[in-house]
Amino acid sequence: MANARALDKRRKSIKNIRKITRTMELIATARYKKAMERAQAATAYTDQITKIVSRLAAAGLDVKHPLLEQRDEIKSARVLVLTSNRGLCGGYNAAVLREAMPQIRQMKETIPNVTVDVSGKRGVDGLRFRGVTTDERHLNFEDQPKYDEVEAIASSYLARYITGEIDRLDVVYTKFVSTSKQVAMVETLLPLGSLAGDESTEEELGGSNVDYEFLPSAESILEEVVPTSFKVRLFKCFLDAAVSEQVARMVAMKGATENAGEMIKELSMTYNRARQSQITGEIMEIIGGVEALEN
Amino acid sequence: MAIRCIVVTPERTELDTEATSVTLPMFDGSLGVLPNRAPMIGRLGYGKLELETSAGPQRFFVDGGFAQVEGNTVNLLTSRSIPVDLLDVGEAEKALAEALDMSARTPEQAQLRETAIRRARGQLRAAR
Repeated sequence: MANARALDKRRKSIKNIRKITRTMELIATARYKKAMERAQAATAYTDQITKIVSRLAAAGLDVKHPLLEQRDEIKSARVLVLTSNRGLCGGYNAAVLREAMPQIRQMKETIPNVTVDVSGKRGVDGLRFRGVTTDERHLNFEDQPKYDEVEAIASSYLARYITGEIDRLDVVYTKFVSTSKQVAMVETLLPLGSLAGDESTEEELGGSNVDYEFLPSAESILEEVVPTSFKVRLFKCFLDAAVSEQVARMVAMKGATENAGEMIKELSMTYNRARQSQITGEIMEIIGGVEALEN
Repeated sequence: MAIRCIVVTPERTELDTEATSVTLPMFDGSLGVLPNRAPMIGRLGYGKLELETSAGPQRFFVDGGFAQVEGNTVNLLTSRSIPVDLLDVGEAEKALAEALDMSARTPEQAQLRETAIRRARGQLRAAR
């Protein structure tokens, strides 16, 4: 049986760790709620953009824009990997890197010029460890990415794309599906593919079929809609990544707290047993001593 | 009869208020909106959004985007909206100088430069 005092020391230190992990869980929960609110606020904006696009399409405008078209020859591409600045969030960063690595490798085989950009310290370290050189490093994104900061990045990508410096932009990030499900995935943001995004184009229009006046012209609006929707999509990626990070941390810390609790229980049991057997041993010794004296 | 004016940015709903008249900074000049205007979708430029409310006039700098008028509701989608009082003339002047300094060797670069200049000028006008 182990030394009772050593056991007690260990139990105390685990109790301290449990306190820390529980606090971290609480913090992550609070941050998750805030990040979630922001993500929902952004949805209001994207919904409006989608509506405008569908109205443009309904007005008989042919939705065409250089940003929407696939280029025939892809000479150079960029990959943006979104990870977190801090660790202790379970498999969050590992999942993103696991998704990013094959993608980068495959692109490097087919495209002559591939550059990797990364956001988050964990990603910088992880990619360096895997032998990938990174170009731009963004370390300023925490749980609440600012639109201004994301827009600056988006604008620089847009400028590069328009001037022909890059022909393709992929983003590797964690998509937030629900609180219990987040998926690391690759999304090609440039060229944009489709504008409207996913579902909800036709039905929503049905109710109010009003004739809109387009000022200055439908084409001019389209010219502005396309870059804006790219920026918002990139912003959405950052928001999703932020929310997913907090969820991952919440779950990881919850697990840690529970494990610490179990460990404390086990240690308490062994400690009590050790203490009891120690006392028994002492009593036996005393009794033995008394008997020896009587004789 | 009042107009409901809603300003939405990607981060949050910036403004949701009633006004008697709204002046939008469109891509090619100002556009006044009074109650019962015909539905429209327009492209916003960089400039001042002016609201006449019962509590007095309100002014905001709007950073591009779109406006949608339907019924008596004006929806503005913009990347940024800042109350005019909070704008800084010096900052706007610096942005303009930077924009003028951009190189414009190819048509694409020229276009980017032009947009930057227009934006900085709009900000400067609103700030003054």
